[in-house]
Amino acid sequence: MEAFDDENPFDTESDRIPSETSSTSKVDISEPPSPPFNPSRQLSSEITSPERTFPSQGPPRQPQRSNFKSDFCCARDRILHSGDDVEILITDAQKTNLGATTPYITYVIQTGNTESRHRYSEFESLRSSLVKLYPTLIIPPIPSKQTLGDYAVKQGKAKEDATMIARRKRMLQTFLNRLARHPILSNEHVFHRFLDGEVSWHEVLNSPPISLLPKNILKAPSHDPTDQEASPAYTALPNPSAAHPLRNPDQRFLDSEAFTNKFAVHLSGPMEKVTRRTVKRWSEYAQDHAELGAALNGFSLNETGSLSGAIEKTGQAVDATYMSTTKLAQELEQNWAEPINEYAQFSSIIKKLLAYRHQKHVQYEMTQDALEAKREQLEELEKSEHEARRLEAALGGRSAVSLPSSPDQEPTEEESNIQTHSASYVPPHPGPNPARRNARAPGMGFLNALSYTLHGMMDVDPETARRNGISKTKETISQLEDALHLAAQDLKYSSSTIQADLDRFQRQKVADIREMAISMAQSHRDWCKKNLEAWEEAKREVDMIPDHPNKLPSPSAPQPSTSTRRDSTTTLNGR
Amino acid sequence: MLNDDEDVFDSVTWESPTAPVYADHTPSTGPGYRQSIDSNESGPHDPKWEGHLITAVTDPQKELAETKDAYVSYLVSAKTNLPMFSTSNPSARRRFQDFVFLREHLVKDFPACVVPPLPGKHRLEYLTGDRFSPEFMERRRLEYVHTSLEPPLSNNVTGNAGAGLLRVLRMGPEPSPGIVDNITDTLLNAFSRVRKPDERFLDMREGVDKFEDGLVLSERLWTRVRNRTTDLTADYHDMAVAVQGLGFLESGITDPLNHFSNTLLEFSALLRHTTQTTTDPFLIQLHSLLTYSHANRAVLKLRDQKQLDFEELSDYLSGVSAERDRLAAIINGHAGSSGLGLGSYLKDRVDAIRGADDDRSRVEKMKKLDVKIKELQDAVTTAHETSDAFSDETLREQHVFQRAKEAEMKEMLGNFADGQIEFYKAAMEEWDRIIPVIQRIHVDV
Repeated sequence: MEAFDDENPFDTESDRIPSETSSTSKVDISEPPSPPFNPSRQLSSEITSPERTFPSQGPPRQPQRSNFKSDFCCARDRILHSGDDVEILITDAQKTNLGATTPYITYVIQTGNTESRHRYSEFESLRSSLVKLYPTLIIPPIPSKQTLGDYAVKQGKAKEDATMIARRKRMLQTFLNRLARHPILSNEHVFHRFLDGEVSWHEVLNSPPISLLPKNILKAPSHDPTDQEASPAYTALPNPSAAHPLRNPDQRFLDSEAFTNKFAVHLSGPMEKVTRRTVKRWSEYAQDHAELGAALNGFSLNETGSLSGAIEKTGQAVDATYMSTTKLAQELEQNWAEPINEYAQFSSIIKKLLAYRHQKHVQYEMTQDALEAKREQLEELEKSEHEARRLEAALGGRSAVSLPSSPDQEPTEEESNIQTHSASYVPPHPGPNPARRNARAPGMGFLNALSYTLHGMMDVDPETARRNGISKTKETISQLEDALHLAAQDLKYSSSTIQADLDRFQRQKVADIREMAISMAQSHRDWCKKNLEAWEEAKREVDMIPDHPNKLPSPSAPQPSTSTRRDSTTTLNGR
Repeated sequence: MLNDDEDVFDSVTWESPTAPVYADHTPSTGPGYRQSIDSNESGPHDPKWEGHLITAVTDPQKELAETKDAYVSYLVSAKTNLPMFSTSNPSARRRFQDFVFLREHLVKDFPACVVPPLPGKHRLEYLTGDRFSPEFMERRRLEYVHTSLEPPLSNNVTGNAGAGLLRVLRMGPEPSPGIVDNITDTLLNAFSRVRKPDERFLDMREGVDKFEDGLVLSERLWTRVRNRTTDLTADYHDMAVAVQGLGFLESGITDPLNHFSNTLLEFSALLRHTTQTTTDPFLIQLHSLLTYSHANRAVLKLRDQKQLDFEELSDYLSGVSAERDRLAAIINGHAGSSGLGLGSYLKDRVDAIRGADDDRSRVEKMKKLDVKIKELQDAVTTAHETSDAFSDETLREQHVFQRAKEAEMKEMLGNFADGQIEFYKAAMEEWDRIIPVIQRIHVDV
């Protein structure tokens, strides 16, 4: 296999070291805590803002292309590449009946100063179109459709559930922003038109490039499946399944596939499960505290004096815990659980991507094999032809018809053979040859047809048949050579693009994980702080309850109120 | 970090005033001084503490271990300046049976006092293991402490054979035996209500009921919180494991993720520690306060019964007196029409028909009744006195109980708040510490 590094389309900096595999890309973590900041950029990861933005920007964010883009295709394009930290916002989710029999939710998307509206199914069609248009790129996930679990819980009202809608809103926003930050996808005009409020999405779906998408992506060029100028030889390519084994697999991608599997299993298994469980538990904890706070409040009303005040303040501390815990659960859901879910979805996206590359590789190998087979066939044919000519020359004036079928046969036998088999000479049938059978892969439809026609052309003139066979084979070979060239090209392109996108994805993932962890730590820290304040207040109130008279008349130094258990005695003098 | 050795029986110690406080103690001057309480609610019923008596129950030891008579003995020690004690640091070893004996005595001798209850011999709810466990002993200590908070109980001393630790004097009016007891036994009816309910006691009763309701509800909800916290402890442990797993996969950031995983583990440990050292003891105390309140309620009930006794007795007396008066009236020639009702009129008629010897028998009967009336009047007087005294005592006792209640709750809530403050401070520190570690992850997007 050739090296793929030299055609990395993402390589904007020549000093970037290509990584081994996506899983082992070394990320430098020993940097000093204050990396050089570009002061003009407001970085969301450094600000303790309540709204965590995904995907995270990370410290110093490089300009999107080192040279600024100047040929914008539309206003949206301009905005996205204006050089500022543009953020697409989904500002609202509205229920509407517009153009449908049943009410649905439409999301209001704000890009700069443009507003557009789309419903969930339109996001789905945007995504699936992008997947087909860019088979070698990682297209970010959108929130899944209703899960069975949701239906079980909500029973039909799931679509209207406010938390569901809020979550979709957030995740769709993240989806759009990930697209906007992708070096290639952000330039896709279909995406721009999605953000354009004045464009009918239905029209976009039915016009190029989407309308030009072929049915089978594998039979179209990798770099642009809609390319109308693509060589017709693409149709000659086989259509293998993703499970088809490779003779000579690429170790890098084998590693990537293995890593992706492990990642997928870990994320959707232990990580997602425990996160969901924890968030739920916090919600229940908050609920318990709400009830307890109310109970203590009622309790305090029946008491008098300082005891009543103390119980009341304790109840208030419990109430504060209820509120802070609700906030904690919410933040954990938004800033930890949702991204984890997103990355679990990413794993299956990457799996599909690697499967596509695998198929391309198989295509290449299959085409190679077919070409080998055809070349051997040609060799056989030409050998026969050569033999025939030699004999002709040797035998002189004999008619072409009575040529022996094989040079080893006795003349007498052959005479009778010729009598019996009028169409005696047939070129060795490429089909039944057992050695060649392996090369006949299931997907080689066109070639099968070709050889069948060859069979059919068993005309009386074997020499013509053979000559036809030779020229046809030569044609097929030439086609296969074209196809092989295309397959090689596609494979090269796919492998390098996918590798580059995997690297980019890996870097983004590290940035996102960093963001998630910081957010989780901060959420917990704030929770602790609020509760601490509330309990300190309560403690002050409790201390105001007068002591019991039965106490030691100890000297002046009051005992520090430590966390050790105390008896009801204090050192205050009761006198 | 916390360890689970705290559950081990041998290492149990009480961070109670035993050691440090005793060291600081300076003996007070003079015996039996009176000190008044500088509270602004001193009324006629406010109790007067004559000194201090601080007790502690420590050092559980298994005695006669491995035999079938094995039991636990506790070191009961006290610091006091009360005159009736021969030493200011009395102490003795006592076992549970001794506590039971003491309590029974106190209950018998001070019916108007709220004697705190002892923990059940086998309280399954709060015991993690056998009856020698720390929580069990904690509760006994509390019960004993309750006792020492009662000034009447601690100010009075009786002879106690042998050890001479607590000597409790007899106090208060003794219920006179004899007729009153018999009659009260007959008249005592669990369902009958006091005829002239005293509003003060009604209020008191209501207050106690509400207090107990509050305690019960709090206990239930707080137990739920405790269980939820235990679940969270496990959840954060699992989260730590999951994050560590992620760190192994992401070889570039394994280190920071491991640190993060550690923080999650620490948080889980802190949660567990708080449950063990703050929440659980709090729940035990809450529960024992509840049983203490039950004892209070029992005293109020007893007071009601005493009043009931008196009222029923009075009624009986007036019934008998009326009978006698009627007879007298008849003897003196006034016919039985003086509003004695149909019943006695019929009785008269029946007697007349029977041909009872009117006058002589009547006079005899009257004489008998007179005697009875005299007895009854004494009994009624006694019952009245008893009832009044009991009511007075109860009023006083309520103040004592209120004080005890406040002190207990102060300690309970104070310790709980302390525990929470400690937890949140420690947790906040942990989270603060991890943030710069994660921020150091280099990102290159």
